[in-house]
Amino acid sequence: MHTSGSVTKSIYPAKSAEVSQRDLDWEIVLKVQSGNVGAFDQLVQKYREHIFSVIYNMTSNREDASDLTQETFIKAFQAIGRFRGKSSFFTWIYRIAINTTMTFLKKRNRRRYISYENVDEEVSNSEIFERLTAKNRTEKGLLINELQEKLNDALQRLSPKHRTVVILHEIEGLEHAEIAEITKASVGTVRSRLHYAKQQMQSFLQDYIA
Amino acid sequence: MTAPISFEQPMASQKNEQEEVTLEDLLRLKRAERPSEAFWGEFDRELHQRMLQTLVKKDPLHIQIMRGLTGRFAQSIGVAAAAATIALLVLRPAFVGVGLPEAELAQQEAELAVEATFQAQLLTEFDSTMVAGRDYGIKVISSDQAAGFTRDFAMDGYRLTHESSDYSSDSAASSFSFGSATGVASLVY
Repeated sequence: MHTSGSVTKSIYPAKSAEVSQRDLDWEIVLKVQSGNVGAFDQLVQKYREHIFSVIYNMTSNREDASDLTQETFIKAFQAIGRFRGKSSFFTWIYRIAINTTMTFLKKRNRRRYISYENVDEEVSNSEIFERLTAKNRTEKGLLINELQEKLNDALQRLSPKHRTVVILHEIEGLEHAEIAEITKASVGTVRSRLHYAKQQMQSFLQDYIA
Repeated sequence: MTAPISFEQPMASQKNEQEEVTLEDLLRLKRAERPSEAFWGEFDRELHQRMLQTLVKKDPLHIQIMRGLTGRFAQSIGVAAAAATIALLVLRPAFVGVGLPEAELAQQEAELAVEATFQAQLLTEFDSTMVAGRDYGIKVISSDQAAGFTRDFAMDGYRLTHESSDYSSDSAASSFSFGSATGVASLVY
């Protein structure tokens, strides 16, 4: 699990916790498989925000993200009987989410209207945004809106594969090995894609960086 | 005096690093984009509805297709059988004797005539063997006897009557009846 940075979001904070979380998920999966359909709701509550975040950043559209997140959980629910626990549940459901979104993006011919989510107040009041506001000499609210637009635009200019890697690593805080497992690529490929994608994004956002 | 320079350079570098905005810093904004609680309430409601629909249509596609086909097939068979039964019950009587070929009608009439003759012979035999010579107060009649008797052949029976209307014999499926001024006698087989 990626741990660099003070605000890195982590699903499984430590290795020992990861094992226990995996076991906990597996117990819930077994319950669902034995007919306790209601237990699936625990998995929904646990992962819905992570899945939504990935899909939202992939599509840059709130409504599409909501639909696709629901579709992801429905697919997982339909296929949970075949889940044997070879990988962790979170890897499995992330893979479903990524594949569902990729299929959706292939079908979506043109870019759709981008709708933004609210930014957490804690982050908008952080030192970085204070600095950016001072540097750009603009009002913070406007700057945040502008940055949201520029960031979404930069993400959408990446290919879906590069976008996936950036989102999973930089926003979701997953490790290279976990991304490799989810995307069914080698760790080297993940690193390479991440490096290239970050370079691209830095060039798109050079007005705000450094 | 190199010491102050060497002291100031790292300080300036540190200051620049602190003021530098990186891509990771910008991406923190993406991490901070979160839907409201109201959004999640609506999300959960919609998801539960969709999952219930999934539960209702849980059977695999091929089983659904098979079930649909067999269901329709069985339904068709049932409807066809019911229609055939109704047709037999309602429509057949209307077609009996109607639209039959003339040759067939003639054959049926001939058969009925033979049957009438046979019945008449039976009556004659009844007259000669059982009744004749005994006085039961019954007047035995015969179709072969003199005028005054008429024979009426219908599709499924015949009537033998005398002008005086004292005696009659109806033959339908399995009964004979004798009418008189005093009463009616019936034989039912």
